[in-house]
Amino acid sequence: MIAALQWTTLAVCALVAIARIPSALRGENRSIFGVFVLATLAVLLSIDVSYLTVDAWLGSGNYTNLILRFVVYGTVLLAGYRIAKAFDAPRSIRLIVGPAGKAVFAVVGVATVALFLLADTAGSATGLTGLSSRSPENAALIAWYSAAGRLYPAFVAACILPATCLAIGRRLPWAVRLGALLLTAAFAALALGSFYPLIPREAGYLKAIINYTSVLCLALGLALVWISSLLAKRKRMNLR
Amino acid sequence: MPLPAKAFQHWLHVVAPNASTADICRISGIKRTTLAQQLVRGKVAENTLVSISRALKRSPLEDLSSFDSYAELAGRPQVPTPAELVSQIATMDLLRAVISRAAPAYGGYGDDGSAATPALGPAPHATSVRNWVDAIDDGELRHRVSDATGIAPQNYSAQLTANRLSPELAVATARAAGVGFTGGLVATGLLTEAEAGWAPEAKQAALDALSDGELTALAGERLQALGKTLRRQEHEHEQTKKIWENLG
Repeated sequence: MIAALQWTTLAVCALVAIARIPSALRGENRSIFGVFVLATLAVLLSIDVSYLTVDAWLGSGNYTNLILRFVVYGTVLLAGYRIAKAFDAPRSIRLIVGPAGKAVFAVVGVATVALFLLADTAGSATGLTGLSSRSPENAALIAWYSAAGRLYPAFVAACILPATCLAIGRRLPWAVRLGALLLTAAFAALALGSFYPLIPREAGYLKAIINYTSVLCLALGLALVWISSLLAKRKRMNLR
Repeated sequence: MPLPAKAFQHWLHVVAPNASTADICRISGIKRTTLAQQLVRGKVAENTLVSISRALKRSPLEDLSSFDSYAELAGRPQVPTPAELVSQIATMDLLRAVISRAAPAYGGYGDDGSAATPALGPAPHATSVRNWVDAIDDGELRHRVSDATGIAPQNYSAQLTANRLSPELAVATARAAGVGFTGGLVATGLLTEAEAGWAPEAKQAALDALSDGELTALAGERLQALGKTLRRQEHEHEQTKKIWENLG
């Protein structure tokens, strides 16, 4: 079930990224192309097979996980900024790229690296599973490292959420409203990420479902808005 | 409330005993699948009945009144009030009348207008439903309709904004306002003015009866409402453009 979700998400992100290559070459909205490339990379690095392969090259010290964190931060920052601009939410933009956003990013970035270096991370393990059981100290470090990793996406998501949520109810083309709904779902899931410690251990699969659903919703929402803009462009061409 | 399929089929059998469903659809221009779907669901749209009645060269108003839920439409229809008639004149026709009454220096013909002014367009027009309700509203009408039919006020308003009103609500609105039943059916486009029994010159006569002051004030209100609608559409268009520019 989770494997199917993982591969579907990877396929959707990769397909949209490939489909956007021509427009990226023409210089149209390269940052959205970047979002899809980063999202594809993030999903790739979180799937067991590819994670272990990449980490083996990097010396099996789980540095891949650290890279994954920053790929996720980049995706969320780029997508969040672009979406806030699109939905005309100056407050969200100010929060994300203003002093508050920079401070959160700096703190989370430093904490991510520091906690990673402090912890004992030898031996490849996708999602760092099993590393916590080495010592109580390591368990605390890994828990904080994971929390830091969820904090920044949750922060950006919470900043955007009001803007996309409002757009659902506006009188806009239906595809744009559906796109806004998908984006809202994606950001709501990301924002929920900060409450993961509340999920009981035996329901751990919920985390994976929430994570991949949110990436899938983000990709589908952006793709839908893109397709609707292409259709509108074609319609205008035909009218001429 | 749409018409019960059973009563509809009975009516169809009486008015066109030898016609097949295919014939009926062909002459009335209704898609066969549409009619079949309505019959299967047991509810036939008033629009369907009117199209068929029209095609058979019968009176849609009389045929509609032969159904229980529209029985009150039977008999001589109460004539529309002047305000209702004026509400069914398109905004651009009202503006044309304002100019037509202006002094020749401004491109008009003086007080009485002129035969050279183009004839009024047929109802319904782009905002005819809301204009009709505004014309018969004493300030409490929406509440009374909402109480009588159970429709939520915001849903009712949404229908007016979309220039739509179900025939059932149109009749309920007329009943609540104490005016003739044909006004709403014309404003929603279910019936033409002629089918509703309106005199061909009634709208023009109601327009001519307006004083310059009344006409100008009314045209001003309409223009303001139109400006608001256009501005909102432009705003929505801008928003959409921005979204597509940033994410497209």
